[in-house]
Amino acid sequence: MEKQSYQYIENPLQVTRREFITIGGMVVAFLAIPTVWITLVTSSSSRYLQARTKGLYQDDTKAAVRVSHANKSVARYYKEFGGTPLGHISEELLHTKYINRTKVLS
Amino acid sequence: MSGNEFTLERKREMNVTAKTYQKGEIPGVIAINATVCKGCDACKRHCPTGAITGMFGTTHRIDVDLCLSCGQCLINCPFGAPYETSDTVDEVIAKLKDRNNTVVGIIAPAVRVAIGEDFGLPAGSLVTGKLYGSMKKAGFEILDNNFTADLTIMEEGTEFITRARHALFGEKSEHGGEIGPLPQFTSCCPAWVRFVETRYPTLIPHLSSAKSPQQMAGTVAKTYGTNVWKKSPESIYTVGIMPCTAKKLEASRPEFNAAYKYNKKNGRGLTNKPYPDVDTVLTTRDLSRLFKKLKIDLAQEEEVAGGSLLADYTGAGTIFGNTGGVMEAALRTAYAVLTGSELKPLEFKPVRGLQGMKSASVTLKDAKYNKEVTVKVAVVHNMAENIQPVVNEVLAGRSPYHFIEVMNCPGGCINGGGQPVCSSGSSWISAIRPWFAWK
Repeated sequence: MEKQSYQYIENPLQVTRREFITIGGMVVAFLAIPTVWITLVTSSSSRYLQARTKGLYQDDTKAAVRVSHANKSVARYYKEFGGTPLGHISEELLHTKYINRTKVLS
Repeated sequence: MSGNEFTLERKREMNVTAKTYQKGEIPGVIAINATVCKGCDACKRHCPTGAITGMFGTTHRIDVDLCLSCGQCLINCPFGAPYETSDTVDEVIAKLKDRNNTVVGIIAPAVRVAIGEDFGLPAGSLVTGKLYGSMKKAGFEILDNNFTADLTIMEEGTEFITRARHALFGEKSEHGGEIGPLPQFTSCCPAWVRFVETRYPTLIPHLSSAKSPQQMAGTVAKTYGTNVWKKSPESIYTVGIMPCTAKKLEASRPEFNAAYKYNKKNGRGLTNKPYPDVDTVLTTRDLSRLFKKLKIDLAQEEEVAGGSLLADYTGAGTIFGNTGGVMEAALRTAYAVLTGSELKPLEFKPVRGLQGMKSASVTLKDAKYNKEVTVKVAVVHNMAENIQPVVNEVLAGRSPYHFIEVMNCPGGCINGGGQPVCSSGSSWISAIRPWFAWK
């Protein structure tokens, strides 16, 4: 003999068919619209970033010399004119000081 | 766009209110065109300092004292409301036509992978040769900013080694000068420098004293460059060609006339009228406009070599345009100087990529002291989101790092405020277009 444990309740939340469709539609829209918008916007800008980044790394890979201290023209600059890094001419021409702009300047 | 009226109005207004600019500086390179702004708040997400004011739905304004002139709002606005208050394209064309001048174009690394987009080439096309060709055709001499990027590494790298040896081994400076504290911050990014100057002046000693590559280029062009091109310093007109709007502000800083002072002191100058190291700055967008006005189609140009030793550069110089690039280039050189052998492999992967904050450590043997040292480095980009924790750590004196690279823009200079705009705004077509940018 089977015991009847199942009890059927007709529409426990009192939602009509139209209301159910409306609520479902709204939930989907709330989830989907920002997701699509955000992925489109972020992926488009990061695609550009990745393409440009790759371009510069390519320039590095194909370069004959890949370290600054082996740049012959830089060495020539220091020999003919600049002296040494952090030397007197370098301090005068290639270094600077910064300004505290939290004080009123003008 | 009726930009001119706004510029004038803006300038008049700013003479009264701006407090964080020295005399002679451009008081804010970015302004918002009130007739175009819809008040959508899209720009506020990209502003590193919260300088954009105005409620949702009302016209927004920029607080020039907070603004770093980085231009992130400009390239991210869906409506194109922000504009640059400084536009010198016509001035440069006039200088190019005047044959008494030698117009020197200082080409930043990130320009060569972006300007192609304005001439119908796919995103990320590397067009160094064509860019040189177009520049020569327009009448520029070329000083590749990558050359001075290498120079920056020599200066900034040597400075870092000096600071590190001072902190770790108590080494004294050779000239008896003061040695700055660790961590050392990079100083290439003008928006970052202005951020420190306007908000955290106590961090100023941590900034590398090395000038940015652009300013080094201007100085070198008007001192050593006079020997290279056999011209007088007065006839050399230097134009920074930058992916960046903040570089316009940087070039206008009044202390950047080192070449004038040097030439005057050494009897090389003819005039007593001070000239700036960098006369003017064009963004990547400005340069495309200049080419189009001169009817030069970059995509069709011949590939040409740089033409002088000031256009020679290495792979380390060119990656400056990417986030982590300065750090990688500096590590390659610092490693070689400290250990006496080259870093292997040269690609230093931990500092590459688009994560907000990257850190790495390198253990190496300092050949001079014969001791093992572990150098800890960090790389920060997209300041709007990532800078605060790093700054707080350094202010509290518990930063574990020795050397920190900071770039304001997400991804580094390749995504600077002066680059061609990939409108990721309201247009669906342009949002989807980059998906086909690979080929």
